[in-house]
Amino acid sequence: MGRYAIRRLLQLIPVLLGTTFLINYMVWQLPGDPFAARCGQRPCPDAYINAMRAEFGLDQPIIVQYWHFLKNLLTGDLGVNFNNVSVASQLADSWPITVRLGLMAVAIEAVIGITAGVLSGLKRGGFIDNVITISSLVLLSLPVFVTGFLLQWLLGVQLEWVKPTVSPEAPFSELIIPAFVLASLNLAFTARLTRTSIIENRRSDYVRTAIAKGMTNRRVVGVHLLRNSLIPALTFIGTEVGSLMSGAIITEGIFNINGIGGLLWRAVNDHDFTIVVPIASLLVLVYLLANLLVDLLYGVLDPRIRYE
Amino acid sequence: MTEVLPETKSGGTGGGALLEVENLQVEFHTRAGVAKAVNGVTYSVNAGETLAVLGESGSGKSVTAQTIMGILDIPPGKIVGGEIRFRGTDLLKLPEDERRKVRGEGIAMIFQDALSALNPVFPVGWQIAEMFRMHRGMSRADAKKKAVELMDRVRIPAAKDRVSDYPHQFSGGMRQRIMIAMSIALDPEVLIADEPTTALDVTVQAQIMELLAELQRESNMGLILITHDLGVVADVADKIAVMYGGRIVENASVHDLYRNPAHPYTKGLLESIPRVDLKGQELYAIKGMPPNLLDMPTGCAFNPRCPYRQEKCVTDVPPLHTISGTRGSACHFWREVLDGDAQ
Repeated sequence: MGRYAIRRLLQLIPVLLGTTFLINYMVWQLPGDPFAARCGQRPCPDAYINAMRAEFGLDQPIIVQYWHFLKNLLTGDLGVNFNNVSVASQLADSWPITVRLGLMAVAIEAVIGITAGVLSGLKRGGFIDNVITISSLVLLSLPVFVTGFLLQWLLGVQLEWVKPTVSPEAPFSELIIPAFVLASLNLAFTARLTRTSIIENRRSDYVRTAIAKGMTNRRVVGVHLLRNSLIPALTFIGTEVGSLMSGAIITEGIFNINGIGGLLWRAVNDHDFTIVVPIASLLVLVYLLANLLVDLLYGVLDPRIRYE
Repeated sequence: MTEVLPETKSGGTGGGALLEVENLQVEFHTRAGVAKAVNGVTYSVNAGETLAVLGESGSGKSVTAQTIMGILDIPPGKIVGGEIRFRGTDLLKLPEDERRKVRGEGIAMIFQDALSALNPVFPVGWQIAEMFRMHRGMSRADAKKKAVELMDRVRIPAAKDRVSDYPHQFSGGMRQRIMIAMSIALDPEVLIADEPTTALDVTVQAQIMELLAELQRESNMGLILITHDLGVVADVADKIAVMYGGRIVENASVHDLYRNPAHPYTKGLLESIPRVDLKGQELYAIKGMPPNLLDMPTGCAFNPRCPYRQEKCVTDVPPLHTISGTRGSACHFWREVLDGDAQ
């Protein structure tokens, strides 16, 4: 499996080169000059625009620009943005907050989603099953920004249980509600997936064997049934890390969190591509690594698809 | 029901046999109606004895076994009546926790398809060792040693190297051996084998049957062998119960049954075995289809397919007539069947 992991890691290199090139290319091809509207009410003088274009290398061919990007990336120097602020320091400020939010969301998805799915699958058609099925349907049908505003208004404004917005340091406790909002869609889906596979596997022959072996109910469900039923849910959670990242942009907006979502949002509005490009590339990398992790995890969970 | 229970000579404790099923009735409640899958089944097995339960799919032979084992899906299954006495105690009246302790320790079971019956995500050794860890509180290391011993005992080559392999890495015959190793781990007194060789090649079938017979001799277990294959039964069984439509239609020793069947269904089964001396002739087949459990024929369940059928067969359910000693036949005309005329 070690060799498989290394091979997969090496495969990431061409994929990353391709995607970052596309990101660079497409971003700079967007209509509208990034510098033309930077002078308030009046149009910017041509001299300023040309100077800025030269400073950021926009006057050079795309392939040369990409080469500069790669060189800067490898030397760890991401340069400054259009406002002369270090890009690396902005990323360093916001990235950990988004990672924290994302990891909390994944944990919530896994723990609550799987628990709810197991409970409702075991008591199929019972009261708990109905409650869980209906609430997951509600979560599934609401867009993230509706769930977000709703919880913010209810828990933050009406009941005043939490602060409606998150402070700049974004401590763990303040991120719980935003992380739940971010997780909500995938949470509901995880619960449904788990429920289905529990119901399916419950009647399987190996579960019957475990009962015939005289195992306690707790062991039959907690070991034999659960281990097999987790496979689809964990695969789903892993592959959805990417969508979680794009969801983070909306969630961070609602709760005023200083993560990369907000940074990216402002940068896109300002046409500040010095920020957009590294963040987009970073998201691609996260997505690729998450997928690799899922593939490796899959082999661990299910020995039938182990890689040599 | 006026079934006559064939008395077995020697018994376990308390005079009765080791495992006795008496007048067991199991129904399945489905949307389409109530299916009487097991309709008053009575049989018993003693230590060291092999009872073969013979019947086609839907005859209730597997459902009876699952009910003994306590692995029947309830619902849709429902135990309507009867007793299952193991060493004199009615298992159906035991609280679930006591019942659980009997499984694996007292009565164990092996299944038809070992690939699906073994858990795909755990190593085979782990699955065998689980018996020792959960029932006997052994440590992982000790239990694993025991697992290797058992794998040796069921003659899995290089058991020590293969103890950490997964079920899908074994051949069908080897998987069934692992299943057997797991079932005999705690020296159960009764082993139920539900079509243990159906999914295997003919050559492997013989090996597995031999292994079962050998293990039985060594440990003096009672063996209930559920099968639809008459060939499998002949060599190993002491006595046979033939089931049809949820009832036992014939009880006999192997010798008697093969020499002179007392029920038209058994007779049809025996005649449908291909024989070398009749090569070139058309193979006999029992006419018609197995009965639909949701819509059983009136009277004798076999009557629509029976060459001996008369008025009485459509109106009266035949009781299990005692022919002699332990022999019984649920046919109004068992005398005629035995004499071999009609048809």
